Amino acid sequence: MGVRLYKEPKLENPVMVASWPGIGNIGIIAVDTLRNMLEAEDLGEIEPWDFFYPKKVLIRNGELKELEFPSSKFYFKRTGEKDLLFFIGEEQPADGGRTYAEGKKAYQMANLVLDVAQRFGCQRVYTSGAAVAPIHHTTRPKVWAVPNSKGLISEVKTYENAILMSEIEGRGGQGNITGLNGLLLGVARKRGIEAICVMGEIPVYLQGFPFPYPKASKSVLEVLTTALGIEIDMERIASFIERSDKEIEQLYEKFPPEIKEQLDKLKYVSYDKPTEPTPITEEDKKRILEDIDKFFKKEPKED
Amino acid sequence: MQAFKVYGKRELQDSSLIVGWSEDAANLGTRVIDYLNKKLATEEFGEIDPVDFFPLGGVSVEDDIVQFPESKFYCSYEKNLVIFKSNAPRAEWHKFLSSVLNVAERYCHVKELYAIGGMVSLSAHTSPRELLLVSNLPKMKNELGQYDLARGMDYETPLGQRPTLSSFLLWVAKNRDIPAASLWVPVPFYLVATEDAAACRKVVDFFDKRLALGIDLSDLDEAVARQNEKLAQIRFSFPEVDSYIRNLESNVALSQEDSEKLAKEIEEYLRRID
Repeated sequence: MGVRLYKEPKLENPVMVASWPGIGNIGIIAVDTLRNMLEAEDLGEIEPWDFFYPKKVLIRNGELKELEFPSSKFYFKRTGEKDLLFFIGEEQPADGGRTYAEGKKAYQMANLVLDVAQRFGCQRVYTSGAAVAPIHHTTRPKVWAVPNSKGLISEVKTYENAILMSEIEGRGGQGNITGLNGLLLGVARKRGIEAICVMGEIPVYLQGFPFPYPKASKSVLEVLTTALGIEIDMERIASFIERSDKEIEQLYEKFPPEIKEQLDKLKYVSYDKPTEPTPITEEDKKRILEDIDKFFKKEPKED
Repeated sequence: MQAFKVYGKRELQDSSLIVGWSEDAANLGTRVIDYLNKKLATEEFGEIDPVDFFPLGGVSVEDDIVQFPESKFYCSYEKNLVIFKSNAPRAEWHKFLSSVLNVAERYCHVKELYAIGGMVSLSAHTSPRELLLVSNLPKMKNELGQYDLARGMDYETPLGQRPTLSSFLLWVAKNRDIPAASLWVPVPFYLVATEDAAACRKVVDFFDKRLALGIDLSDLDEAVARQNEKLAQIRFSFPEVDSYIRNLESNVALSQEDSEKLAKEIEEYLRRID
């Protein structure tokens, strides 16, 4: 069980950005888009066989030629100021068909990722995932930002379109971040490394569908690029969003009219602490959310 | 701490290893191994401890009996043969397969290994059973050239599916330069839930020749004849079943619904008369 590095570049004040798949693949799409746009170079990988069951076999003329495993890869990009290290995990190392990693394997992987971060001198790590929220798919998703130390709260407050858990009504600053996108923050804290998880919102009624939600990935990208002090062209993700919006609209049209009527009210629901009067009452809001929960029988969550 | 225990009375040299998993099509792996163990009067040689590889939060019950994962090695000193029979592990697959090969290398000094598997086929039971070979090294493929095996398979895991545990085992063996082969018998889909004596015979016959086991296969011949008789009987009693099978014999594919109906009729019939 180990890491294989293809090269040892000297990096200036590097920051790591890591992500694994989760709901709507929000985080991983954001991080992979950033990596692609910056043309980050291959750096290394975590040897997969102790973490994963293989995903593909290739047999040619009766001979086993290749066994492919889910990848867990590192990349790097020199930016001139704060260099970047990327980690992208194609799957979370989960047993028994679960989506999210937990327990020993997850802890081992988190430590291997941070070993590489520290080897190159990283003092800051970002992870990214999804936040299931009572929002409508036509609204701009916010980004829930969770730091792993008090000292980072003031910085997080400066991110445009980002909110802290304590700013979400009824949460009292509490919540869970499932899987490695969350665990990495905990392990980083244990090692004294600053870390922030940025989670793009996905409408509560879309969380169970097996398609990506790039609109939230764009919100995450906006926060990440600001935090990292870099600029990228958002054109590529914008066309992805356009396609995804069309698919979601088609799906939405198939919902029963009474459900759609309830969901449409989410356009006017503000669940973060209200600063000005909203078009619907608190009582309306509570009822809408209860109805939606009942219909989709799922609790809001983060990953 | 090592994951296995070995209690064989002595080590083997240049032995062959046969591996079979429970839960494959027609339980082929288990049936072949149970047959070989009985015929060769093998002894228990060792086992892999289940704790790291199976969820042990309770036990399942099947046919009124409690089940517990088993991963055991058997050996025939006389035939210089080791047999490993196991449930497929649910976690730590690489560690599990490495443990199998650790026993095979350190205590049995294996020169080659074979993994058995049944696969679902859309053909009728009246088609002859084929034995498909996948090898992990060219030398293994060449060595097996003289046997009646289909050796030119091309395959790529389809999207949404995963490779078999036998493919994983072959890959781990390849990394240790242990020649290995997986042997696949296509089993008619309507026999997958019960058994297929013809598939079992095909595999045992190969091992008998390859490993010079000297097994008298007449009991398997009888089992194949009995199976054919039962299937002929059901075709005679149920014209619909006969018509489905005739279609398959003429290479006419059945609809999903008809396939399910055929499989259900045959499974129920075979269970009723057994």
